[in-house]
Amino acid sequence: MGNVMMAVSRTKVTAVTNLAALVEHECTNLLILYRKQENLPEDMESDRLVFISHPSSQLDTKSKLQSLHTGLGKCYSLLERAIALEEEELDGVETTEYKNTRGRLKGELLNLLKSTGGLLKAAGGKPIKVLDDSEPYQPSNLFHLKLWVYSVLMEVKFWSSTAIALLRELQAVAAKEPPKKSKKSTRSTRR
Amino acid sequence: MPRLLNILTSKPNCGPVWVAFVLLGISVLNSQAKIVLTVPQQVSLSANFFSQQLTISWFGGEATTFDLIILRTEFNETVFYNTVPAVMNQDGGRHQWTWTSVEPLECTSLSVKIRSRDGITKSEWSEPQILKGRDLPSNSVQQVYPQDKVVPVGGNTTFCCIVEEGNEFRDFLYGSIKMNVKRLSRRSYVTTAVNQNLSGPTGTNVLCRLKNKLNGSVIFVGYPPLPTNFECITNDLTSAVCYWDGGRVTNLYAKRKTSYSINKRDCPDGKCVLPEWDGNWTLLAVNPLGQYSLTYSAELLHRVVPVAPVNLSATDDAWNTTVNWHWPYSSYNTLALLCQVQLASHNILLRNFSGVGLQSVFLPHLHPNTKYRVQIQCGSLNHFLKWGNWSKEFNFTTKSYVPEAPDVWMFVNRDNSVRVMWKPLTQWQSHGVLTGYEVTLWSLEENENQTNNLSPKDNSLNLTDWASITADKKAIASVKANNVKGMSQPSSIMLGLIDDKCAPLAQTIYTSSGFPLSWQHSDNSTGGYLVEWCEAVCTSDCAVDWIRLDAGSTHVSIKDSIAPSISVNLEINQQDCDVVLSWEEIPLAGRRGFLLGYKVYRVNNFSNFTLLDDLSPEMRTYTVKDLSTSTYKFTVKAYTSAGEDTGGTAAITLKQCADGLILEILTSLGIVTLLLTTVSCFCYKKRRWVKKAFYPDIPEPKLPGDWSRTQGPMDVKPFPHSMVHIIEKPEWDFSKDTLVIIPEEEDYEGEGIGDEPVDTDEPQLLRYYNQVVDERPIRPRFPDSSVSSSSSVDSANTDVTYTGIQTSHSSLVFPSDSQGFSEGFQPHSGLSLSSRNKGEGYHPQMHSVTLGGNLASPEPIVEPHAVGSEGYKPQNSWLLDSPTEGDENSPAPSLGSPTSVASTQFLLPDRERHEEKRQQPSSAANWFTNLLSSAKP
Repeated sequence: MGNVMMAVSRTKVTAVTNLAALVEHECTNLLILYRKQENLPEDMESDRLVFISHPSSQLDTKSKLQSLHTGLGKCYSLLERAIALEEEELDGVETTEYKNTRGRLKGELLNLLKSTGGLLKAAGGKPIKVLDDSEPYQPSNLFHLKLWVYSVLMEVKFWSSTAIALLRELQAVAAKEPPKKSKKSTRSTRR
Repeated sequence: MPRLLNILTSKPNCGPVWVAFVLLGISVLNSQAKIVLTVPQQVSLSANFFSQQLTISWFGGEATTFDLIILRTEFNETVFYNTVPAVMNQDGGRHQWTWTSVEPLECTSLSVKIRSRDGITKSEWSEPQILKGRDLPSNSVQQVYPQDKVVPVGGNTTFCCIVEEGNEFRDFLYGSIKMNVKRLSRRSYVTTAVNQNLSGPTGTNVLCRLKNKLNGSVIFVGYPPLPTNFECITNDLTSAVCYWDGGRVTNLYAKRKTSYSINKRDCPDGKCVLPEWDGNWTLLAVNPLGQYSLTYSAELLHRVVPVAPVNLSATDDAWNTTVNWHWPYSSYNTLALLCQVQLASHNILLRNFSGVGLQSVFLPHLHPNTKYRVQIQCGSLNHFLKWGNWSKEFNFTTKSYVPEAPDVWMFVNRDNSVRVMWKPLTQWQSHGVLTGYEVTLWSLEENENQTNNLSPKDNSLNLTDWASITADKKAIASVKANNVKGMSQPSSIMLGLIDDKCAPLAQTIYTSSGFPLSWQHSDNSTGGYLVEWCEAVCTSDCAVDWIRLDAGSTHVSIKDSIAPSISVNLEINQQDCDVVLSWEEIPLAGRRGFLLGYKVYRVNNFSNFTLLDDLSPEMRTYTVKDLSTSTYKFTVKAYTSAGEDTGGTAAITLKQCADGLILEILTSLGIVTLLLTTVSCFCYKKRRWVKKAFYPDIPEPKLPGDWSRTQGPMDVKPFPHSMVHIIEKPEWDFSKDTLVIIPEEEDYEGEGIGDEPVDTDEPQLLRYYNQVVDERPIRPRFPDSSVSSSSSVDSANTDVTYTGIQTSHSSLVFPSDSQGFSEGFQPHSGLSLSSRNKGEGYHPQMHSVTLGGNLASPEPIVEPHAVGSEGYKPQNSWLLDSPTEGDENSPAPSLGSPTSVASTQFLLPDRERHEEKRQQPSSAANWFTNLLSSAKP
C-alpha cells in the first residue's frame, strides 16, 4: 500500500476519501427522501445488484483499488439507468428535493469514480470506462422498478462506504511508514 | 278400444267433446315434449385481465334465458348468480355474456356453470368451466394484482395479494394506511381502497407484506383530460397556430400524461403549429382515464395576429423622426395593418397608425436633443383580433437645435443696484447642451455696449457698475443662450426704476391652488403684466421669481416657488401622570400662510389620528392628562386657512407615576390583609379540623396529681401497654417525686420486638425526658453512632418521638427547678448514651419499654446514670387524644404501641420561664399555636 502513497500524495487520498464521504452522505439523504416519497418501510430489504468481489478480499492495493473502482463504475451505470427509468415511467413535472438530490448524487458519484480511477492509475492499474455492457434492467411493473431503484441507491451507499473504508486504510498504512530522512539533516546531527 | 268406439257410436252427441279431450291430451303431450331444455354446450371462457372482464360463450339451443353462476373454485363461494338473457353471437350462433369482476381475475380460480331456463323450467347445469387463478400451487411466488393501474378520483379498487408458498401473510398497506383484508383462497387475500384520493406524482404504493417478504403494486389516481380555450390563429397568413389550456390538472405524468392531437396530428402541450389553414380543427386530449375533444372553426383573415416588427430604425431630426421596420413575411405586404407605436421619454405616448403592409411611421412634435424609446405592435385592420407581440425596444435621440430665448427680468436690490435675471432654460428649452449665456448691456444715451459671457449655471448678473446709468439713463440688457447649435434669439429688457404705484397686497390666503392674487384692470396698461415675488425675509441675493401675464389679466394664482412648510419641532415630557407637549414658533419663512392655530392629535394604532384639542396660534404647550402607563404618540400640526402641515410627531412611554404606585401598593396591602383575615377566619371556624390535620394531640401520661403545684411524687398513669420510668433530677427526693406505675394488664403487642428477651440487667425504662428536640421537623431515628450503638445494646429500647406540636403545658407538669433548667439544655448532637453523664446534656428519647404485662416493680426504676444527672431532663409526654383522658382508670385508647413519632415540641416543666428562654418561634406561629391551644376543649 505504501507504494500507492509514494505515487500519490496523501492530500489526494484524503480528498478522495472526503469525496466518498460526500457521496455516502448524499446517498443517505436520498434514501431518506425516497422512503418518505414512496412510503416505504424502514426495514425494507434490498437486493444486491453489483456482483464484484469486495476490495477487502483482495491482497494488494492495486487489486483493492481495481475492485473498488469497478464497483463504483457499476453503481454509476445503475444510477444512470435508474434515473432514466424514473424519468420515463414515474416523474412528474415538478422539481422536487428528491430529484435535485438525485442529480447531485450522480455528479458526485462520477467525480468519485474518476478520482478512484486516478488512484488506480497511480497504483499501476487501468481505470475502466464508464460503460455498462450488461443487459439494461427492464422492470416488469412499476413497483418492481421502485424496489430496484431502492436497491440501486443502497448499492451506491454500500460502495461509497466501502470506498471510505478502503481509502482510510490506505491513509493509515501510509501514516505508519517512517518519514524519509535527508542525508543533509543526518549529517548535521552528527558532530 | 271397441268399447270406446262403441261409446263413440252409441253417443254420437258426445263425440266432439271426446275429440276435444283427445286433441288436448295430444297437445299437452307435445308441449311437454317441447319444454325439455337442453343443457348449454361448449361453454368457453375468455378473460380480459386488464379490464377484469370474463366473457362466457356457449351453445344453448332454443332457451331464451340462462342461469349463470360463477364461483370461487377453491372455497366454492358464489361470486355471481343471475339469469341472463340469451344474446346470440353473430358468428356461429353462440350465446355470450360478459361479466366484470370486482377483484382482479388473477386472484383466484373461478368456476362457471350455465343452465338453460324457460320460465320455471330449467335444464341441468353445464359442466363447470374453470378460469385458473394465479394462486395455483404451480405458481408459488408472491404476486400482487392489479399492477400499474390508473383509476379516476373517487373510485374503488380491489387489490389481491397471492402469498408465496410457505410464507405467511402479514398485512396490506395502501400508502401508509393499513387495510382490511378478506381471504379468497388459501393463498389469496384482497383489500379494497374506496373513494380514492389523488395519488402522488409517482403513484400510490400498495404494499403486501408477508412475514419476511414484500411485494406490491402502484396505482395512479387522477382525472381524465379536460382542456379549454381552444383557438387557432395565423401569423404568416398560411399556417395555423392553435392554442389551448390544459384545464384541470390530471395528476397523471410520464407515460400516463395527457396526449394531444389536432386533426390527427400529434401536438405538444398547449400549442400546435399546423402547416396549412384547415379552417376546422378538432383537438383530442387523451389519457388513460378518458378523452376529451374540442372543435374550432375560423376563416384565415379573421384570425390574423401579426408577428412583432423586426429591425427597427429611425431617421433622426431635431423635431420629428421616421421609424422604419421590416416584416418577416412577404404576405404582410397586402395586409391592411393597424400599428400602435409607443413612444417614451419623460412620459409615454401611444399613437396608432394604419396602412397596407405598414412598415414606417412619421413621428412629429418631438423635442430636440431628447432620448426616446419606441416599440411597435400591430394587428389586422379589417378583422382586428388582438395585438401581435411588441417589437423589441428601439432607442433613438433627436438632434440638437438652437436654444429658446431665455425669459429675462430685472430686480432692484435693496441698495438700488440692478440685477439682470433670466430663468434657467429647461431641457425642453435648451434644445441641447448649453454652453453659456451672453449678456449684452446697451446704454441708449451713450450708445455704449458691454458684453458678458456667462457660464450655463449662471442665471443673473449684478450691474453694480451700471447703477448710476440705470438710475438716470435708459439702458437695455439683452441675454442670449448658447449651445452647440448656436445662439438663441436675444431676450431684452429695459433697465430702470419701475414706477410701482400699486398698493401692495397686505395679505393673501394660500389655498391648494396657490396664492390667488387679483388687481384692478388699468386701461393704461397695454403691454401686459408681470408678477414678481420673492421671500419677504430675504435680505440679499434673494431668489426672485416672476410670471408674465397678458394685458387683460386681473388675477393670477402663484403655485410655484412657495417655501415648503416647516413643521413644529415637538418636545414631549412626562409630569407625574401627565404628558406635556411643547414646541417652538414656526419660522416665518416656513409658514405657508397666516397661522390659524395648532391641532393636537393622538396617534392611535394603524396611524389613526384622534383630535385632542385645537389651540390658538399663540399656544406653545399642551398637557395631556390622566394617562395610564403605556406608550403614546402625539402629533401637533400647524394649520392655515389652506389646511394643516404634516405636523411634528413625538412618542413617549409613560413610566409608573407616583399616584398610581401608591394606589397599587395600597391595593396590594388591602388584598393581602383580606386574604389573611379570610384564612384566619377559616382556620378559626375549622380549628378542630385544622388541629386534627396539622396538630393532633400528642398523648401524655396521665398523672394523678398536679405537678405544677405540688412537689409531691409524680403519679403517672402508665400506659397500659408499657411501663414508664421517670428520670428525675438527682436533687429530687425520690421518695416523694416518683412516678406511680400502674401495672399493665394486657400483653403488649409490639411491632416485632415483643418476642425479644427483656434485658433484666438494663431495666426497661421509658425515659421521660423533657428534651431539647432537634429542630429539624423529622429526625433520623438514630442521629449518631452513639445512639445507634446504644440502641443495639438495649434491644428492647424503643426510640419514641412525637409527631405533634404540643404547647399545652398543662398536659405535663414538672416541678419547677430553675437551676436544673439552666444547666440542663445541651445541643442534641452532643448527646451520647454511653457517656452516662452527669445529666447536664441533652438526652435523647431513648426509652426502655417493658413488654408484657408483668411489670418489674410498681416502684419507679431509676436509671443509674440518670440519677447522677443534673439539671433538666427532657422527657416523653403522651397526650391523650380523647377528652376523657382525665379519667384515671380508663386506659387511654389512643395510646397504642410506642411507635416512633417525631416531635417538634419542647416539653418544658417551667413553662413561663422556659418559653421565654428556649422557644423561639415567630409571633405568628405563637398566635397560631395559641389559637389551636385555645381551641382544645
